[in-house]
Amino acid sequence: MRPRFLLARPLVLLVLTWIVALPNFADAQTPKRGGTLRVSYGNEIAHLDFHTAPGYEMMWVAMNVGCGLVNITPDGKFVGDAAESWTMSSDGLLYNFKLRKNVLFHDGTPVDAAAVKFSIDRLMDPATKSGMRSFFESIHSVEVLDPLSVQIRLNQPYGFLLHMLAAYRTGLVLYSPTATQKFTLEDRKQGKPGSIVGCGPFKFVEWVKGNQLVMDRFDKYFVPGLPYLDRVVIRVIKDPVTEMAAFKAGEIDFIASFSPEHVDTLKAQIPTAVVLTGKETTPMLAAMKVTVPKDGKPMSKERAPHPIFGDLRVRKAIGCYGIDRQEIVKIAFKGKATPWVGMNPPGTLDTVDVNHLCPYDQAKAKALLGEVGYGPAKPLTFELMADTEKSVFNVIATVIKEQMTRIGVTANIRLVDKVSWMNTTLQDGPWDMYVEDLLSLITLDSNGYLSNSTSTWSHPRHNDKRVDELYARYAREMDVPKRKAIAKEIQEFFVENMYWNNISGSPFYMVAQPWMKGYTYNAEFEVHYDKVWLDK
Amino acid sequence: MRTYILRRLLQIVPTVLMITFVVFVMMRSVPGDPVVALLGDAYTEEDAIKARDEYGLNKPIVVQYGIWLAKLVRGDWGVSILTGRPVLQDVLIRLPVTLELIVLSMAVALIIAVPAAIIGALRQNTWADYMATSVAMIGVSIPEFFIGILLLLVFSIGLGGFLPSSGWIYLPGTCPTLVCGASLWGNAQHVLMPAIALGVGRAAILTRLLRASMLEVIRSEYVTTARAKGLSERPVVFKHALKNALIPTVTVMGLQIGFLIGGAIVVETLFAMPGLGTFGIDAIIARDYQQVQGFALLTALAFVIMNLAVDLTYTFLDPRIRYA
Repeated sequence: MRPRFLLARPLVLLVLTWIVALPNFADAQTPKRGGTLRVSYGNEIAHLDFHTAPGYEMMWVAMNVGCGLVNITPDGKFVGDAAESWTMSSDGLLYNFKLRKNVLFHDGTPVDAAAVKFSIDRLMDPATKSGMRSFFESIHSVEVLDPLSVQIRLNQPYGFLLHMLAAYRTGLVLYSPTATQKFTLEDRKQGKPGSIVGCGPFKFVEWVKGNQLVMDRFDKYFVPGLPYLDRVVIRVIKDPVTEMAAFKAGEIDFIASFSPEHVDTLKAQIPTAVVLTGKETTPMLAAMKVTVPKDGKPMSKERAPHPIFGDLRVRKAIGCYGIDRQEIVKIAFKGKATPWVGMNPPGTLDTVDVNHLCPYDQAKAKALLGEVGYGPAKPLTFELMADTEKSVFNVIATVIKEQMTRIGVTANIRLVDKVSWMNTTLQDGPWDMYVEDLLSLITLDSNGYLSNSTSTWSHPRHNDKRVDELYARYAREMDVPKRKAIAKEIQEFFVENMYWNNISGSPFYMVAQPWMKGYTYNAEFEVHYDKVWLDK
Repeated sequence: MRTYILRRLLQIVPTVLMITFVVFVMMRSVPGDPVVALLGDAYTEEDAIKARDEYGLNKPIVVQYGIWLAKLVRGDWGVSILTGRPVLQDVLIRLPVTLELIVLSMAVALIIAVPAAIIGALRQNTWADYMATSVAMIGVSIPEFFIGILLLLVFSIGLGGFLPSSGWIYLPGTCPTLVCGASLWGNAQHVLMPAIALGVGRAAILTRLLRASMLEVIRSEYVTTARAKGLSERPVVFKHALKNALIPTVTVMGLQIGFLIGGAIVVETLFAMPGLGTFGIDAIIARDYQQVQGFALLTALAFVIMNLAVDLTYTFLDPRIRYA
């Protein structure tokens, strides 16, 4: 028989091990200061003038170098950034922001009401050519009340001002008036040392296009103790296989946007990888062109119905009943997305499930096409454009092509590069249908500039003023339940008219090493490294 | 000789002009222009028209080319429409990376090709020859990106980061940044896999060519004479046979520079290298005309100068060749 003390020994050892390990465990939960976070971006940063540069990659730099008035949490709550508090007048026309006392730009100048006014005025100035300008159209003026109080006066009530200031594209990024006036736009675009001056947790050090961007801790950041990291180095690795290799080898700590089709491989290859994902906020759509220029001149205000999709019955036959969204999601996204016909993806504020309005129904699709005169004697053929930016577009286009043959329709795929797609769609060029995922939507309101009748970015070029009226009503409504009702109306209206033909949401993935702690996932909207620390 | 070099240098001018003109016209014939990307989310038709006017994109192509050329003569390579950065500054930052890659991949090619070809030629129709020929065939057949991925799988993923897959470290003295790593050892680690990926294909071509050349030379009378004089095999092979056999190989090496620049685009993308290849492909995708012109000009210059250098090498390899 085994002596009892021998049996007890492993237990004692276990307890001792636990006691010894306890301080380390506690350490692991206490943020550690220092270290360099190595981040990988899949795309190049366009340039560094935060108010005008396109692309998420720039935005994710702007959010860390810059600060704004407010931020938004993943559950939709607003937290102060440079503003410590804010109030709204009862008529919804005045917003007063009280600024924190100790906020400094990286050049040492104070973040005061004048800087806030300067930044908003700059964004609203047409000469700046900011992509944010359309979001600021509801603002009438900005007034400095005192050095730490600023008032935003609106033209009409706007229920999404805080959303907009926090997270429409970059949100409001405050610019140092001193630095902005000292350096030219070209200096900022190129990232000339000294020209990129924000008030965020990290100060810009350098950017070598095609190689790396470096940010260092700003010691005078207004949140005591933050950031934890000494440095953030952002590298551009375009190939997902190389990205995976670099991650597995421990050369990078964080992949800011990882290709969905490689997620399963990554999980199998690197079981320790922390894959971050959440609600789908990006729409994947198969857009159909509704009108064409009557006089043949692109962008002409005189419109005629598109020869194929100008007829609502064809749009509904093809986009609504002819597309099997479940099948597309199963094949293109391996089931990791939500089939979703509504224009607002499932993760966007005020989204409504309107899938029941478009059940997959081949017979109904054929009947509608027959009504228009299409059938075996007069087969319908259209062109389906997909761009090469993401392989998933081509996969979706291929599945749609197959689904079209089931209803006697021929879809000819045209594969183009991203710039050609942008060129064709933005400039009212000839196209019938395209597959693309567009901007992530934090609110339905933020989709207005992609889908109202006057927007350049409304590729289908419908000219239905009812859409504009619905958007305007939605934006002005301050009562949340009423606003939700309008949101439902908008989404149903879009499906009924097929002005916006959604296929699904589009999943978004980030990947972190197990030693990267403190990061809060908030999709593409907020990528902040201020609370990140390295447990190694 | 001097007259010859001068004449060849003068010939470079129309060649480069022709290349840059063709690229200029082709780029503008491709759908899309940089204005769409420049304006991004702020795109409006009015702003696009203004921007095209501002950058002279509405002018006839020949006029645009003339303006570009006139600036070039003054040393101005233009400014990137998208980034606002001077093109010359950008290409000069990236040139050392690609130059290093090309030189080292050619070195890799020669290190593999020369011994393999010599062994193959001296031991014709033996297992060593068959092996060298087979390896050459495999090398020719596998594209650079595939070799690159295999190397990544083995040395970066399989061996737990034995060789780094990305995060370029510059050669000391070539680092254009404030905060970049620059060390000889770090650089060697980073460049090894890309150089092998790019060099193996070239090695295969050179092996086959040099082997055929060697076979021809070692059967020539002067080699037989050298052996008959009692010279040992080493000087016969290296001093007499190899030097002459190298002439067609050197010609092909010069021509391979063009392929290496093309291959560099793929390899640099795969290994996330900040070189001219990635610069060129990004510029083409974004329709950044000025950058594409800078890239085309530099690669055209590199190609013609390398070929001139190759022609001049002949005089060293074969003293009978004289340029007048």
